[in-house]
Amino acid sequence: MRVLRTAAISAAAIMMIPASTAIAQNVQPIEYTLDNGMKFLLMPRDEQPNIITAGWIAPVGSVNERPGITGVSHLLEHLLFKGTDLIGTSDPELDEQYREQLTEVREKMRAYTLDVQYKRMYAGEIENPWDPANDTDELRALRAQMTELQELQSKITIKNEFDSIYTGNGGSGMNAGTSNDFTVFYINVPSNKLELWAWMESDRLMDPSMRELDAERFVVIEERRQRLEATATGKLDEQFDSMFWVASPYNWPVIGWMSDLMAYTEDEIFEYFETYYQPANLVGVIVGDFEVEEAKQLVDSYFGRLENKRPKADPVVTYAVPLLGEVRFSGECDCQDQVEVRYRSVPYGHPDEAVFDVMADLLNGRTGRLYKSLVEEQGIAASASASHRSQHYAGSFSFNARPKGNVDLATLEEAWYVELDRLKTEPVSDRELQKVKNGQAADTFRGLMDNSSLFFQLAITEGYGGYEYLNEHPKRIAAVTAEDIMRVANEYLRADARAVASYTRKGGTEEVMLTLDDVRASLPEEMVEMVIPGMESGLIEIAATTDVASLQKQIEDMEAQKDMVPPQFQTAMKFMKQQIERRIAELESEADGSTQEGGAQ
Amino acid sequence: MRSVLTTTFAALIVGVGSLASAGDIPSHPSELSFDELVFTPPLASEFRHELSSGVPVFMASSDEFPLVTITLSFKGGEYMEPEGKAGLAAMTGAMIRTGGSATMSPSDLDEEFDFMAANVSVSVGDRTASASINALTSNLDDAFGLFMDMVRNPRFDSERLEVLRGQQLEAIKTRDDDGLGIAIREMGFLMWGEDFFEARQPTKASLEGITVEDMKALHARIFNPSNLMVSVTGDFEESEMLAFLEDAFDDWTPGEASPDVPVPTHTFEPGVYYYEKDQPQTQVLIGHRSFERDDPNAIAIMVMNDILGGSGFTSRITNSVRTREGLAYTAGSVMRPRVEYPGVFMAYFFTKVPTTALATRLVFDEFKTIETELATPDEVETIANNIIETFPRRFESKAAMMGLFISDERTGRAPDYWQTYRDRVRSVTPEDVQRVAKAYLHPDEAVILVVGPWEQVKKGNAESEADASRVATMDEFFGGKATEIPQRDPETLEPKSED
Repeated sequence: MRVLRTAAISAAAIMMIPASTAIAQNVQPIEYTLDNGMKFLLMPRDEQPNIITAGWIAPVGSVNERPGITGVSHLLEHLLFKGTDLIGTSDPELDEQYREQLTEVREKMRAYTLDVQYKRMYAGEIENPWDPANDTDELRALRAQMTELQELQSKITIKNEFDSIYTGNGGSGMNAGTSNDFTVFYINVPSNKLELWAWMESDRLMDPSMRELDAERFVVIEERRQRLEATATGKLDEQFDSMFWVASPYNWPVIGWMSDLMAYTEDEIFEYFETYYQPANLVGVIVGDFEVEEAKQLVDSYFGRLENKRPKADPVVTYAVPLLGEVRFSGECDCQDQVEVRYRSVPYGHPDEAVFDVMADLLNGRTGRLYKSLVEEQGIAASASASHRSQHYAGSFSFNARPKGNVDLATLEEAWYVELDRLKTEPVSDRELQKVKNGQAADTFRGLMDNSSLFFQLAITEGYGGYEYLNEHPKRIAAVTAEDIMRVANEYLRADARAVASYTRKGGTEEVMLTLDDVRASLPEEMVEMVIPGMESGLIEIAATTDVASLQKQIEDMEAQKDMVPPQFQTAMKFMKQQIERRIAELESEADGSTQEGGAQ
Repeated sequence: MRSVLTTTFAALIVGVGSLASAGDIPSHPSELSFDELVFTPPLASEFRHELSSGVPVFMASSDEFPLVTITLSFKGGEYMEPEGKAGLAAMTGAMIRTGGSATMSPSDLDEEFDFMAANVSVSVGDRTASASINALTSNLDDAFGLFMDMVRNPRFDSERLEVLRGQQLEAIKTRDDDGLGIAIREMGFLMWGEDFFEARQPTKASLEGITVEDMKALHARIFNPSNLMVSVTGDFEESEMLAFLEDAFDDWTPGEASPDVPVPTHTFEPGVYYYEKDQPQTQVLIGHRSFERDDPNAIAIMVMNDILGGSGFTSRITNSVRTREGLAYTAGSVMRPRVEYPGVFMAYFFTKVPTTALATRLVFDEFKTIETELATPDEVETIANNIIETFPRRFESKAAMMGLFISDERTGRAPDYWQTYRDRVRSVTPEDVQRVAKAYLHPDEAVILVVGPWEQVKKGNAESEADASRVATMDEFFGGKATEIPQRDPETLEPKSED
């Protein structure tokens, strides 16, 4: 077989990788700004022939909302697929009349609901003021009017015309996404259809119809159910986020609170649209197989038609207040037990952002510290990871873990604090740091290799303030030192400014009876032979004991020692405790004269 | 080789003369005209090489980034798992990757790969297995050496095995947390039978029973040159790469080729089935067995399904359940043919509990409409245009293209399949759509599977719906009969005993 040269990989590789990336990571799109202020990044690339990925980003997301309209950024994203004054209807004039009449009825229903129905809710008469099941006669009449108008309108509506025009012209992967900070729209089109793209996108930015607003509200509510309420941890995560961010507008979900989803008016939606989707606020991005001059002419003709109708929006005013103590949140769900410890980090572009990114990488992956320590050496976690996310106005750094077997969450949390202490007190070795930097450097190439990931990187970085970040961030990563990591860990990852979420399985308080096999699996291999025989004889002793008081004393002793027992013996101790408790129950039921089958229910 | 693509590219430079200026923007996009997009699908033979041992190698180079990807693709997979060893295939793949090699311990090997920034993956899927490395060109030689030692001589380290087994045992505990997971699992059981590899699930007992010997045996059967095809993309020179692979595989002795996939024998009883779960939204799957990939009607069926529910917003089920009625965020249908035997057709949606029956009715209405009424020429044209215009995307990434060629060769697809594909799509008529809808959709012989709180699902939306014509209950399907699927213990998948 081929001779392996494993020993040769060493210093040469260390030197080589950073050197090669320094040359290559230089993304230079052509910048082109229209008279109305809309900016374009053009990135011709012929590696994928015949295809263009095109789209645009609006730097607006849930962070720009306020109570009462939470989720409006996301609903607006949906509504921008519902056609325009020209697309989606066979009779634009009649359609406009219906839309006006619908608006009138909708306003009446809203005013009535916020007044009468909300009062009934606060008085405890009904649970959900928006639920048709709780309609009063007045509301029922209004709802009937609305249904009638919707039915009339639907006769002249061409359903999903916006989508089918693209579909019939070879558009694919059309979608959009809304985050806390931005909203992005994109599609792949064949190279000869760039003009179609310019037509469609400029049209929906110019005259969106917001048609079918009421049906789309319910689609979003189903989306909320699907993503949050019917998922194992969705609803709990949402509340934990809320607690973690305190005053910051990151404290409400992108999809919005249920009450607000029902309440938006058309006026609110249009005002939001006109404020944040005016051309001076937008960036278009085109990547792939196209001619630059042709693209410039096209975007001039089409997107040049857009007007800035309102004053520039204020930046977000409310900034995050620091956490002033430890926040703890515990909940039950249909989920595996899990724990998260979360800290505030830094906003996007802050000098310490790269340090947090490196720190997360040090902890992650199969050669990262968390896997090695919590999963392999201590055998207490089924999985453990760290993550870092810098958003526009604030960032967060998290530790997440799920226990192995019956290890409790407190043990995992403690294990994290031990790892964190290492980060704070011991400088990371050169090799470990270099490994993370090599991986980051290679990943920057990997993230640029196809049109759509290149599109997203350009759109999102530009939405956050400038695509130059793509070229700057790798340099910042390369410059992170062992001292930086210690400094940042000490400065930000503090016990008196953290939030801890513990989720346990619903109904999980019914204790699962452990077996000797569970104990065997929980122990480090070399300990099995030392511990198990002793436990087996212990079991015999317990079975032979008839003295309840002495058994109870043993349990008390175990409770007292609990915190001193090393994590790998926790399962063994829990097993012994269960066995003693079972024996006590046996003895007590014998005393009662009744019989009882052992085992968990 | 690359010249095929570059010539095609050169041929489609678009005429600048046709550009709109601000004054003459048409009022509807249908008035725009476009230059024809010339695209000739590349032939597999232009990328195909063979090593002296007969192993096929598909190569396409590009020097945009200093990275190379080499993928070894093997025939063989879950269908070869012995009885009672469900989960063996996936575990073997994971252990080849994480369990070390003859010369290196698992953690040393991981450390080297990570330090060299090489991404390495190994997986054993249902029918095929693959091992893949993506490495910087500058250290490909070293990284590939380690990779091949791992692929050929995996260590199956026992500590790593126990970690993995522990993770898998944890993971199966959560199987009933996710309603969609339950729906897919139970639909698989109904369609294929619990023991057939398409549906089979690992259990506590099967995971606990998997040994290193089992994994070694499966590894030897699958990961040998008799089952192998290779794909290489990225930054390299072709003749050098061929010589490099020739050298690397030189002493790798062929074994026995993997057997063919077995054919299912299970049959199912049509009707309504439900799995009780307390949740605000239900997951509903409506399905039956469908057709084989090489069925002469395959393309017409695909067009029919795209009209019915397979092409997002442009399709009827999505339009009706989501856009018109606002009952679901996700709704549609899929046709999944198999090469060896008929595959599965499935319509799906997730909706709030009371509207489950109404949404089901809307889907059945669409089944009926597509069988009894001709689709409009516009609908058929929109779908055909989409398939034709997005066709080049199949060949967009070189790695995906090589993967397609390997899969085509493995499954014996006609060599001119892609050359004539667009003409065959173009020739589908509204009459064809109706004909295949009648022949291949069987709503009366389908399974309706609902995961949710059944008592509420069953009684439907009478309490919240004012319009009598929209009141629906589950009684309207299959004469109101419904079969409860017993709650399963997530670890054993045995029905839970009643307490």
